[in-house]
Amino acid sequence: MKKSKLFMGLGAIAVAGALLVAADHIDAPGTTATTADIADFFAFEPTLGSDNTVFAIDLQSNVLENLAYGTFDEGVLTEINIDTDDDLVEDLVIQAIPRAGVMYFFGPVVPSETGATGTIMANAPLGSVAISNETAIVETTEEGVSLFAGPRQDAFFFDFFQFNSVIGGNAPEGFKPAGDPTTDADDDTTAVDTFDGSNTMSIVIEIPNSMLGTTTAVNVLGLPVYKTWVTTNTKQ
Amino acid sequence: MRLNTIKYMVVALSAIAILGSCKDDDDALVLNQPICSDGIQNGKETGVDCGGPCNDCVPPDFSGTYAQVDFMGRPGINTVLSATGEIKDAHNVAIPSEMVASFQSNFEARLEQYHDVYANILGADPAAVNYQPNILGDILNGPNEDGFTNNAVSATLLTTVLAADVLEVAPNHPTTYFNGGSGAPNYTNAVGFTGRAPQDDVIDVSLILLFGGGDGARFSGQDTDDDGIADLPRLTSDGVDLTATLSTEFPYLGAPE
Repeated sequence: MKKSKLFMGLGAIAVAGALLVAADHIDAPGTTATTADIADFFAFEPTLGSDNTVFAIDLQSNVLENLAYGTFDEGVLTEINIDTDDDLVEDLVIQAIPRAGVMYFFGPVVPSETGATGTIMANAPLGSVAISNETAIVETTEEGVSLFAGPRQDAFFFDFFQFNSVIGGNAPEGFKPAGDPTTDADDDTTAVDTFDGSNTMSIVIEIPNSMLGTTTAVNVLGLPVYKTWVTTNTKQ
Repeated sequence: MRLNTIKYMVVALSAIAILGSCKDDDDALVLNQPICSDGIQNGKETGVDCGGPCNDCVPPDFSGTYAQVDFMGRPGINTVLSATGEIKDAHNVAIPSEMVASFQSNFEARLEQYHDVYANILGADPAAVNYQPNILGDILNGPNEDGFTNNAVSATLLTTVLAADVLEVAPNHPTTYFNGGSGAPNYTNAVGFTGRAPQDDVIDVSLILLFGGGDGARFSGQDTDDDGIADLPRLTSDGVDLTATLSTEFPYLGAPE
């Protein structure tokens, strides 16, 4: 009796686990295990003093079995949205979509329509890059924009299995203490990065800030910021 | 005999070397000659396996209407704060300008649910264990004389900010998702809200803001009765750091494993 209860409990955790991977990995029933599932999104200054901004989008994941992973889908448009006037509506978009082994980029450009549907801004080509395998193929345009698309290590780190125990009420102690990341010997009692060793399909673009223009949006510290988000979109 | 053999070998090797250096458009038989089906643009092709000596390139078809199926701004928002599959799916097809109206109350309820989980584990009344205003109040507004925040970041305010799910990135400014600097009570050199770099520990930041209370360490595995055993859960850090390889050069993310 007790044993079967325990197994039922473990089963429930496993189901919860399949549905609750973060940062955005496998975040919802509607997109889980599809080629359009966004795993993660980064936006950063590449080096101190750089005049560029880097946007990195991770799609798909092989962190669990039976997930879509390994091929960019020609039916999926990835779009970086940029709000420059603080109304949470995109003023500029940068788009990426694969065709025959090449990732094509468009923008930054004012989209023909804002919101949850749109079209490819084919009249505003930015450049293209052959989709990489293990070795990174990089293109840099005459305007100084660097482009990449291909598999990369998943940089996200999180003890997500323990998180599921925490939110499921199965971890009275909460998260585990930090362990030695170089050995597996302490993995039962210390924290483990669930995403260690997994990959995603990454799209990375480094773009001069001059091409994004000025922004009147500010963060809570009063610094000018681009307010950004990424979407995946499927052809209707 | 032996000398002739060597001569022939030299001639043969030279021929291979010459042929091997030929351009792809030569008719000679060469090793690694680009062909119209090798999946890469090479030789005199103007596209991948098309143009030049190959079939004419057909322009890629970029027509049609595309509809949003997934969304991400800040890390973990939908995962952590949407309580059900239905809310998660709705969030993924929502647009930021409508998100506060659609999701703030759900997010606030979810935040309190998390606290109830631990109230139950600790044997406390769930109604008595609630979110406490986090360290952002002190950092953004400065502490007042008794050490409590002047403008406390309430559960409603926090979830309102988080519900407008966009990632802010400051051009020409160092990127830090959030770093509390020296910590409570002065938070010297606290920085943040300027973007998200791959090495930023966004989970620990999120846990501190959700469960850390006014000093950032409200639930951090404290041993309150000094018996060597933690009496409060550890909720302000998941205990892991970056494990992936990063590069200082574009594309910055490490080669696949």
